[in-house]
Parts: sequence; structure tokens; C-alpha cells
Amino acid sequence: MSGAPAIAAIGVAKSYGELSVLDDIHLSVAPGEVVAVLGPSGCGKSTLLRVLAGLEPPDRGRVEEGGQPVRGPSPERPMVVQGATLFPWLSLRANLEWGPRALGKRDAPTIAEELLEATGLSGSGDLLPRQLSGGMRQRAAIAQVLANSPPLLLLDEPFGALDAQTRLRMQEWLIGLLGERRTATLLVTHDVEEALLIGHRLLRLSHRPATVVEEVPLELPEPRGRTILADSRFVELKARVLAGVLDA
Amino acid sequence: MLREAEDDAGVDLGDVLGPSSDIATRRRLSGWRRMAVGLAFPVLLVGLWSVLSATGALSERLLPAPADVLESGRDFLIAPERAAVPGVVPFRGAAAEHIRASVGRWAAGYSIALCVGLPLGLGLGLSRWVSAAVDPLFQALRSVPITAWLPISLVWFGLGDGAARFMIFVGAVAPIVVATADSAARVPHQLVDTARMLGTPPRELARRVYVPFALPGIVTGLRLGLTLGWTTVIVAELTGASRGLGAMMFSAREVSRLDQIIVGMAAFAVIGLTGDLLLRAVTRPFVRWADA
Repeated sequence: MSGAPAIAAIGVAKSYGELSVLDDIHLSVAPGEVVAVLGPSGCGKSTLLRVLAGLEPPDRGRVEEGGQPVRGPSPERPMVVQGATLFPWLSLRANLEWGPRALGKRDAPTIAEELLEATGLSGSGDLLPRQLSGGMRQRAAIAQVLANSPPLLLLDEPFGALDAQTRLRMQEWLIGLLGERRTATLLVTHDVEEALLIGHRLLRLSHRPATVVEEVPLELPEPRGRTILADSRFVELKARVLAGVLDA
Repeated sequence: MLREAEDDAGVDLGDVLGPSSDIATRRRLSGWRRMAVGLAFPVLLVGLWSVLSATGALSERLLPAPADVLESGRDFLIAPERAAVPGVVPFRGAAAEHIRASVGRWAAGYSIALCVGLPLGLGLGLSRWVSAAVDPLFQALRSVPITAWLPISLVWFGLGDGAARFMIFVGAVAPIVVATADSAARVPHQLVDTARMLGTPPRELARRVYVPFALPGIVTGLRLGLTLGWTTVIVAELTGASRGLGAMMFSAREVSRLDQIIVGMAAFAVIGLTGDLLLRAVTRPFVRWADA
């Protein structure tokens, strides 16, 4: 993986008043790479994503996208958070068409149809978000931002609110989708298994103020999915990362 | 949300009367039963009223018999109109004329309230600056009773339609502003963030995100404003109108025609209700998504 990183944080720090949330964060995601960021609850993971998404400026340091400084939110690096981000008054199809239409693309209906297919929601295009299950909504929220074919995707605990089985199914779906579309992804999670399952590389954050304390390459058998959960290398790696988290 | 408001507005008899009532389980009466009870109760009251009037227990000076009120109502609606006498507010056959005058004032005052209330409410809800500058003054003015605006509106607009429209505007505008500001301020920031990250230009956020999301709350304000505006019509018609339901009722009071006053009250009820139903029907397609 060569060329400018899809996104890079260089010495990023952020405080809210007296409260220091991020401290000297350095990280980068190569094009097509999936990086999992693991951190304890309340450590500032969401703030990190908001800064990377351009929704909030850093106090110190800078964020670069393809070598260019980030100055505000953009369809090039959308963020998906836990819980609904779909527009509740619009049908699922209209939600998926929103992005392409906002960018003035003519083939919005085609894009939406393809994404409905890819998310297994073909039959649900005319439903309102509240008529979908939690898992469907979460898939739809990811599909909504993918409609603009962003080179980078920022995911903030996207499956946190789902039950364990649904979550595993969603994770497998996401792994397949990201592999197919070669979308660089920064996934923030507090779930070690999720980080190992989805990521190519893992960054572990400290307690607040968050900074990167460990980087672990995740060289695990392909394809990722339920079959590798019992793989000895996976189990070993999980134990090691978990120990690091617990000892922190 | 609307459906809830609708159900809460009508008191469930079962809830009030039965000690072992359905409050805990919130069991609803089936449609036809609900309608039957809703019709039977007023019919029962009117029956009681007829009996009390017929036996003389209820003096005609306090409340005329239902049959007399009905007859006046028929006169008001369909009797051939007599030649207008200057200085006299007509009653027989004058329903259309009075209703047209009152509804016309209502529509004019309410339209102005919409034109002022919606932008003002959005400004208050979306802009810290507008809110800081305007909100204290608005809240202070809102505490002035509607009737307390009457003297100043007479000075400003003189006797006539101008003052009436202004009074109706004053009555209708406050709920519209409050509901619009409140609902616009409650739009989740994630939704706005998402719209921005999907490439929606900032200047389109109000139209494409805030207004659609806030619409169910705004509609509630529009409904309150419509009804409040309508109840203000009668105050407005104190400003020396010679036509209008309120004008008719004040003129009836001068000659102690209670039957005509009750006819006027019934007309207010029916027209107000119809207006609300129409507004709900018109706005329904835009707010259905928020139904529980």
C-alpha cells in the first residue's frame, strides 16, 4: 500500500475546557486498509472520529486526507455512529439516494438499488427507518454513506447496540462489503473480538486523555468470519490484546 | 404523536367512571363502540335538558328549550333574509354572511401569523443570535393576555377589520412560534452531521433537515394557533364589527336572545372543529412518519 494515506492524524490533541480528551494522537490509514481502534469506554474514541471526520477541529496537530488538510465534514470520509442516522421521514430508498442526489449525481436511483441489493434489503426499499429492525437500520446507515463511494469510512461502534448473533452477522457482512469495495476504514470499538475480526491492523488507545499506546498487526487467516473465531492464532492474539487492555 | 394527542383530547368515559378502570391496561374501546358512546352521551344530556325545560324546572331566561334553539338555528341557516335595516345586525337567514365575515377575518389573521410565526420560530430555534436577541422580548409579550391587546389594537387600527385581524394574529402567532422554535431546536445533531457528511450544502440544511424533522411539532403549533386564532375571533369582533358570528352574538345579547347566542356558540364549535380537521387532513401526509 503506497501513496498518501487515506487519512492521517499528526499530533492531534483536543480538550473540552479543562478536560483533555485526546493527547498527541498519531495514526494513519492506508488506502483500502481497515484499522481497528480499540479503547476503553469514555476514552475519547468518538471525539477522535469526529475530529477525523472534520466535524470538530483539533486544538493542536492536524488531520490530513490524501496529503491535504481536512477542513470540515465531507462525503469523502463519512462517519457512521451507533444508533439511527437515517432520516426518519424518508423511505429507505430515499435515504440511500440522499448522498448521490446531494452531489448532483444522476444515477442516484441505480446506486440506491445496488446498495439495497448489497445490504440484503432489496424488499425493504419503501419502508420507513422505524419499520426496520436494529440490524437492518445499522446496515442501511452504512449503505447510506457508501452511496457516495467514499475512499474512507469512519465507523463509531456501529454494531454496539445489537445482540451478539446479529452483531456477528453484521460483522461478516461488513468484512465482505469492505473487501469488495476496497474502502479504507477506521473502526472504533471497545470490543476486542470485533477489532480482531474486522481490522487489518489494531491501534490500542489509553484511558483519557487518549493516545495510541500499542499497534498490533492482525495477520489472521482469510476469509475473516465466524470460522476464525476458534482458530488458535485468533484465540492467542485475542488473549494477548485483552491482557493489554485489562492491565492498562 | 398526533394520534396520541387526539386520543388524549377525548376523555375516555371508562377511565373516569370505573374504579376498576382500564387506565392500567389502556384498553381502547373499539371504533363503533367509541362512536356510539360519544353520540349517546350528548344525546342523553340534550334529553335531560328537554325534560327540565318542559317541566319548567329550567327557566327560559337561563336556558331556552332545545327545540327553540334548533328552530333559531334553522332560521339562522335557511330562512329567507329580510331587507337589511341600517344599524341592526341581521339574524334570520344571515348565517352565510356572518360565517363568511368571521372565517375571512380568521383566515387573514392566521395567514399573517403563519408568515411571521414560522420564520420567527425557525430563527429562534436555529440561531443562537436570534434567540438571544428576540427570545426575552417574545416571552415577555407572550405573557400579555390576548384581550389586553385590544385597546392598543383599536388605537392603531381603529374600529374594523384591521383591528380584528391584528387580534387574531396575536392569538394565533404565539403557539406557532413556540412549537416551531422548540421542535427545530430538538433536531438531533447526528442527523445534521449525517446530512453534511452526505454532501448537503449548509444553506440547505434548514429546508432539507430541520423543517422536515420538526414538522410534526410544528403542525401541533399550527393546530393550536388555528384554534386559538378562532377563539380570538369573538374578541376581535368586539372591535365594532357589524357582521360576523361574534357581532351577531353581542347583538343577540342586547335583546336577551339566548337561543341566538347558543346558535352562535354552536357555529363556533362546528367551524373550529372543521378547521382543525381540515388542517390535520392537509398536513397528515407530511407527518405520518412520526405516528407511534
